[in-house]
Amino acid sequence: MLSRKYNRISIILACFLLGFMLAIQFHSTQNSLKYSTQYQRTEELSQRLLATEKERDSLKKQNQKYTQDKNGGLTDAQIIEAGASEVSGPGLVVTVEDSSKKTATDENANLYIIHDEDMLRIINELRAAGAEAISINGQRVVATTEIRCAGPTVSVNNERSAPPFVIKAIGDADTLENAMKMRGGVIDTLSVWGIKIDIAKKTQILLPAYSKGVDFKYTELVEKGGEK
Amino acid sequence: MIFAVLSLTAGAIVGYLCNVTIPGEYSKLFSVALLAGFDAIFGGLKAVSLNNFDNINFLLGFFLNTILAVFMVFIGDNLSIELYYVVLFVFALRIFKNLSYLRHHLIRK
Repeated sequence: MLSRKYNRISIILACFLLGFMLAIQFHSTQNSLKYSTQYQRTEELSQRLLATEKERDSLKKQNQKYTQDKNGGLTDAQIIEAGASEVSGPGLVVTVEDSSKKTATDENANLYIIHDEDMLRIINELRAAGAEAISINGQRVVATTEIRCAGPTVSVNNERSAPPFVIKAIGDADTLENAMKMRGGVIDTLSVWGIKIDIAKKTQILLPAYSKGVDFKYTELVEKGGEK
Repeated sequence: MIFAVLSLTAGAIVGYLCNVTIPGEYSKLFSVALLAGFDAIFGGLKAVSLNNFDNINFLLGFFLNTILAVFMVFIGDNLSIELYYVVLFVFALRIFKNLSYLRHHLIRK
């Protein structure tokens, strides 16, 4: 009887000890999991993810706010004039190409190729005829656009392009065409030198937006009526 | 049997509340010791069911098996022999054997 009691006690003792060890092992496994580098890395990454998501949400909200008043108080006319957006409408496509005439030996070859001045004349003529938006070889012509000789090419918006030049103008197609074909006008003068100018009336032209950044360093706004 | 389970639970609770942790490099040895302890307990229970339980033998087996297992793993680690798996295998096998015997015995009873 006595020995049975001892038996039981010893079993209970051993079991107790085992349970104790089990709990400790469990505990330390959990802990080591928490402090392992992988766990820490996961924690760090998830934290960063959370922060990034928060940032994204706030930016999304901001974006929504800005798109709501996207035009920023500008009228459509102002946007078109600034070239801030793609525009479309009826108009004229003028394709200008160098002359294919052979140069006489004693003549200046420069007379037979397109110059920035010719381009300027064409643009000027189109504007006079009421063109509302113009682009040259995919470069929108805005207030700050230059049309300038750059060696054998012409530079528009600081982008060089070589002939043929495709000038697209939105406006009344008939008026624009008539302006170009005017007697003594651009086509008349240039065709003398064999420079080819094709004109096509289109019911729908798509002009790109002005692609360069607009950054005014020196110009400042003056309040209306502030300084006169 | 019931006493064994109850004391095991009590020990687990006490151990959990003690909030003691083992450093990572010793957790391998400790887990082997744990397994050896389990083996001894199940062996003891089997002996109880067979009515040939010997108190001294049980206690000696419990501690000596545990210490031996830990020692073996320790030696194996130092000699870069993976004795850890061998010990795990042997003890797991024995635990399963003892458990199946206990199950048979309990069902028969």
